Amino acid sequence: MTKNLLSALLCFFFLGSIANAQTKTVTGTVISVEDNLPLPGVNVIIKGTTSGAVTDLDGNYTIQAASDQTLVYSFVGFESQEALVGNRSVIDITMQLDAKTLGEVVVVGFGSMTKGDLTGNIASIKGAEIANIPVPNFQEALQGRLAGVFVESSSGKLGEGVKIRVRGTTSISGGNEPLYIIDGLPITSGGAIGLFNPLADINFNDIESFEVLKDASAAAIYGARAANGVVLITTKSGSKGKTKFNVGIQRGVSSPTRKREFLNSSEFVELMREAGYNNDLRNGLDPINNPADFEDSDLEFVESRLDRYSGWSDWRTLETDTDWQEQAFNPDAGVTNVNFSASGGDEKTKFYFSTAYDKQDGILIRNDFERISVRLNLDHQVNERFTLGANLGVSRTRNNRLADDNQFNNPIQLVALAPITPIRDLEGQLYDRPTATYYNNLIDSENAQWLNTSFRNISNIYGEYKLTEKLKFRSEFGVDVMNQNEEQFFGSRTNLGLSTNGFARSRWLRIFNYNTNNYFTYTNTFAEKHNLEVVGGMQFQKSEDNFTSVEGQEFPLDELRTLASAAEITGGTSTFTNFTFLSYFARANYRFAGKYLATISGRIDGSSRFGDNNKYGFFPAASLGWILSEESFLKGNDALSLLKLRASYGLTGNAEIGNFDHLGLYGPVSYALLPGLRPSQIPNPNLNWEKTAQFNVGVEFGIFRDRITGEIDYYNKDTRDLLLNVPVPATSGFAVQRQNIGRMQNYGFELILNGAIVTKQDFSWNATLNLARNVNTVKELAPGQTSIPPSSSRFLNGIFVGEPIGVFYGPKYAGVDPANGDALYYLNEELTETTNSYNDAARMVVGDPNPRFFGGITNNFTFGNFDASFLFQGVFGNEIFDGGGGFFAANGDWFDNSTRDQMARWQNPGDVTMIPQARLGECNGCQASSRYLSDGSYVRLRTLTIGYTLPSTLLSKMRIATARFFFTGQNLLTFTKYAGWDPEVNADYLASNVFQGNDFYSAPQARILSLGLNVGF
Amino acid sequence: MKKYIIIAILGLSTVFSSCNDELFLTPFQSIDQSIALSNDANVKSVLIGAYAETRDVDLYGGRLQLYGEMLGANGEVRWEGTFNQPREIFNKSIFVNNSFIEGTWAAAYRAINISNNVLDALEVVNEEDRDRVRGEALFLRGSMYFELIKLYALPYVAGNPASNLGVPLVLTPTREINEESFVSRNTVEEIYTQILSDLTQAESLLPASNSFLANSYVTAGQLSRVYLQMERFGDARDAANRAITLATGLQKTLIFNYMDAFNTEGNSAEDLYAIQVNTQDPANDMFLFYSLPEFGARGGDVAILANHLTQYETGDSRLDQFFTAAGELRTAKWRDQFRNVKVMRLAEMYLTRAEANFRESTAIGDTPLNDINLIRARVNLPAKTTLTLAEILQERKVELAHEGHIIHDVKRTRGSINDNTGTDVFAFDSPRMVFPIPQREMDANPNLVQNPGYGN
Repeated sequence: MTKNLLSALLCFFFLGSIANAQTKTVTGTVISVEDNLPLPGVNVIIKGTTSGAVTDLDGNYTIQAASDQTLVYSFVGFESQEALVGNRSVIDITMQLDAKTLGEVVVVGFGSMTKGDLTGNIASIKGAEIANIPVPNFQEALQGRLAGVFVESSSGKLGEGVKIRVRGTTSISGGNEPLYIIDGLPITSGGAIGLFNPLADINFNDIESFEVLKDASAAAIYGARAANGVVLITTKSGSKGKTKFNVGIQRGVSSPTRKREFLNSSEFVELMREAGYNNDLRNGLDPINNPADFEDSDLEFVESRLDRYSGWSDWRTLETDTDWQEQAFNPDAGVTNVNFSASGGDEKTKFYFSTAYDKQDGILIRNDFERISVRLNLDHQVNERFTLGANLGVSRTRNNRLADDNQFNNPIQLVALAPITPIRDLEGQLYDRPTATYYNNLIDSENAQWLNTSFRNISNIYGEYKLTEKLKFRSEFGVDVMNQNEEQFFGSRTNLGLSTNGFARSRWLRIFNYNTNNYFTYTNTFAEKHNLEVVGGMQFQKSEDNFTSVEGQEFPLDELRTLASAAEITGGTSTFTNFTFLSYFARANYRFAGKYLATISGRIDGSSRFGDNNKYGFFPAASLGWILSEESFLKGNDALSLLKLRASYGLTGNAEIGNFDHLGLYGPVSYALLPGLRPSQIPNPNLNWEKTAQFNVGVEFGIFRDRITGEIDYYNKDTRDLLLNVPVPATSGFAVQRQNIGRMQNYGFELILNGAIVTKQDFSWNATLNLARNVNTVKELAPGQTSIPPSSSRFLNGIFVGEPIGVFYGPKYAGVDPANGDALYYLNEELTETTNSYNDAARMVVGDPNPRFFGGITNNFTFGNFDASFLFQGVFGNEIFDGGGGFFAANGDWFDNSTRDQMARWQNPGDVTMIPQARLGECNGCQASSRYLSDGSYVRLRTLTIGYTLPSTLLSKMRIATARFFFTGQNLLTFTKYAGWDPEVNADYLASNVFQGNDFYSAPQARILSLGLNVGF
Repeated sequence: MKKYIIIAILGLSTVFSSCNDELFLTPFQSIDQSIALSNDANVKSVLIGAYAETRDVDLYGGRLQLYGEMLGANGEVRWEGTFNQPREIFNKSIFVNNSFIEGTWAAAYRAINISNNVLDALEVVNEEDRDRVRGEALFLRGSMYFELIKLYALPYVAGNPASNLGVPLVLTPTREINEESFVSRNTVEEIYTQILSDLTQAESLLPASNSFLANSYVTAGQLSRVYLQMERFGDARDAANRAITLATGLQKTLIFNYMDAFNTEGNSAEDLYAIQVNTQDPANDMFLFYSLPEFGARGGDVAILANHLTQYETGDSRLDQFFTAAGELRTAKWRDQFRNVKVMRLAEMYLTRAEANFRESTAIGDTPLNDINLIRARVNLPAKTTLTLAEILQERKVELAHEGHIIHDVKRTRGSINDNTGTDVFAFDSPRMVFPIPQREMDANPNLVQNPGYGN
């Protein structure tokens, strides 16, 4: 088992004064608690060193150790144990099953606790469990592994945002992402240029553990920013002993999880001619049978368009049949990871340092991601009282980025081009408009560049002073510097540079964020039964955001791509913004007789973001726990080996709003190069944070000597004073006003089950299941307001009191009138009458983008030297709106190529189909309605890993400690009814609290097959 | 031990007491509203802000003109683009959530609110500039109400304007949202009364020359349009005559070659009012939708049909504007990028004066025949010796084609529009040629009544 930061610190304190002593021979036998039989192959290591022994077939071992040294016994499937040698020469050990989690140390805000003492709800995962997953950011690696933590990657584009929701969505217009804290420093997790994900800068091989604080008891110590949960990230630290080296290399290939089927040339020509001809027939013309009708008919128009779109080739003979979708994907997609780390230390100084190179060639053309990272974590004990240390992390990320999903130069938008259009003309040049229906963005591949570079430094230092044995003071200071640069160049042939001999833009962003934590920790035990820990202190954080951008055009030639070559600088801007938080916090943990637990905490938060009338807020929380299995009536019961009840209640806030939303503002604008001012924001001096009151009750249990353990939690989060952009009549000159109004509820349960199913020496099988159900309900909006209807005519997400946030609201599609091929909608909510008029159709809630259930099942196996694990992850009960359907699944409404299912269109009276008659430009059913809505549930084989560890007999000859070959597959199988590219989708340019569950030419996720090798020495 | 705690707490509180001040930050890209209206220079900047709103693509930056052309397509032009919002207008089957229509509504009221703010803060404006500032704000407010009433309500000549619903009239600045913010629709008559009041005052307050901003002849020209809608031809004639007299006195003239009047950098000698476009502020939706990729636009979303060409007499050099690109006939009036958006050309004033004089049987300024022949001479057409009203209106139609006028002329003359694809004929008062009140607005303000044919 991996040691974590805290235990490393503890040895730092308590084992600091090790004296060199005489070694002696220690022997013993190791047995399993399960069957009391000897356990062979158990590692016995002297703590802080690499010297050790392995038990033989009879479970016996012999080792040389000094009396002040500690032996560590570890074996897969069992919990590691430690034993101080002392004056013993025989040490027999009974290994306990690993599923027992009570002793595990988890990191909490401003400290750490053993899991058994926790009264709050914290989901925890060790970095080791997600090492080697070939994804660019840790968020995607966490998918399906933490109960109640929903993770969704917006598409298969690299470097873009990932949506995380901890126990549902609490806010309508404020942020809903959790607060991320690395080694005590709240890091910058948003606000980057474009849709770049700032968390992709973090090399997650350096992470020791992730803890997600979910309930109020755990999170309230982060006050006004904790309502969406808090993710605590702890980086690795060294431990005393011989320096350990680790080298890893991993290579893989990627491909899209799925492609869609589009029409070929013959089908396209058939559908488009039919669409034009149908119009003519409806207008009393028959250009096919009466040649006199042909001139100026829609059929003539269609054929003239087909002539245009087929370029040098002849559509009548179907000379060209281009698969444009295929062109959007990169045939050479893949992943590469190389990493190196060294860790170790002596009595005073411990270190961990690492470097890694990650490269992903995206499944889409023009899209890749590369990260180089270096870390040095150092802890030094100055004397018995004073410890100091530093964690320094630096990375550079380069991301060849793509346009947003709704842009013509999003590669997937190539699917709109006609299959009759050749890719290139007879001179070999890529065809563009007018031959191509729309911009042929393959031109971007030859004539454009879009590179995002991010330099990131997340570093902090700390000092810790033991004032007395019971009281210590810790001061931390951290900086997070994010330096992002985006260089765009669109050459003279691209749609953005066509008329201006090229277009370039250079954007620079620096977010400097610094933070200090200063707090006391007091620990004491009274009368042996009362354990008390009190933490109290303050935190100050300031973030400063500088942004500069320059744009230019008119380039002498496409090879000169920096703005130095632009003859005309057309735009430039620089902006500055900042925010501060000043906070005071305290927490007391109390344990009585090892079975009665209580925690109380409070935080006062002040922020520059809040109105002058409400600068400070107070966020208290309290929780209780009772370990029933420590009571005499249960103690020693093998069938029910653990039973713990806990309950918590508290208040947290959400301050993720704009920096100056409370002010009444005029902003700059210009007209004809004259400077001007206009109102930009209506004031609200009362503006403050959203308040979430959360109640949580949970039970933890272990049965059959903890062979099966689990947790069940019920929670209810009631969020009030929602920071709401309340729509106001536009006749006021404003569209919205930000108010603290409205209420939202999230309640649900979480279930975790862990089973040590088989724990044989040569075969073990552990399984973990997590499942969460969250019910989100918008309870109140502004007084008298019952809805915020869909704000877009193409998408359906809206807000309605009594419904979950972002439900799909619009006309309900009723299929096709068999008599005439008209698209039909329901006229009433009872669905008894239909109409062919979109405007007359009843508008109603037709779907919900929020999943009803989500979870994952992880299985880990070891079989001799082989190991395997797989994670099935699933999301259930949500709908997806395919916003591109209005273009490519619109029964030949326009010349965009259609999906093959459109060939099932209505053709003759009596036809029963869901696809209306093809009518050119008439939008027969192409509007946003439930027609484009479908079930988005899926189950996915998210990760499959198979590893082989070389036998140590072989390795010792090579002076190698460990060597493991592995195969890791990501997204290997997906089971879904969704007919689009991929059910894990959230169209990037739209993605927001309300707009979710939309697909709009969004790239599918990547399926990755990779092979790797890790060597330790 | 206590000693340590006390020392530490004291030390910390000294260091961090300054942090409290850090909680009071002010933005760097915006200023408080009280400062924005506090002095002469700032109020003048806010006035420029009002112009900036009206130059938005939702308004004079192109879409007002586009709406006129799409509603008035009449089988002579065709919408071919992917944007469904213009296509709905083109098909005269508009959806209540049409985002263009919602955007235009909101932008017009933003401009009105800024104008109201300026009008409310006149006391801090230097006295010598006060009339001009007031006149410009009134011009912008009156113009916005005029554009709104033409699109979101029945024409003035349809039914009874005193009972037909117009748009809400807001004449005071909004500094907070309260009950008064939830306005109701005024009648068409009330809106026209306000427009006349604003523009008439503005004309008297404004100087004749005011760079490319509003001046007295632009305002007179705008008034002539309002009077035409109201069929007050005598007033229209006088307003147009004032505009012509003042403008020509300031070297405004018809440009010798018709097509040289378009795609000009800056305002041409013929432009009475145009939206200033440059590379810093490039938006021009008429260019975007009418022009072609090789000029930096979209794929050529509007095609000119053969039916339209028959509107011209043989030899009319206005036919030079048409060229074939991307497989269709196009007009070159909006061909080039970064060119001003024409809102009012001098030619329109001659045509208005001719029509109004003809209808009133007067010859104020000049005879209808002379005014019409001036227009015709420029495009190499022979002078007419006699004139009918139909000929004047036809001359107006082809002279001002593709500049957003057609639907408003059809409506005021009680004409009709033929559907491009079907057999439908839309009369001037057809509810399908009136925009819906945007659904967003209906939802945000329960006091509004929707236009006929749009549900509710």
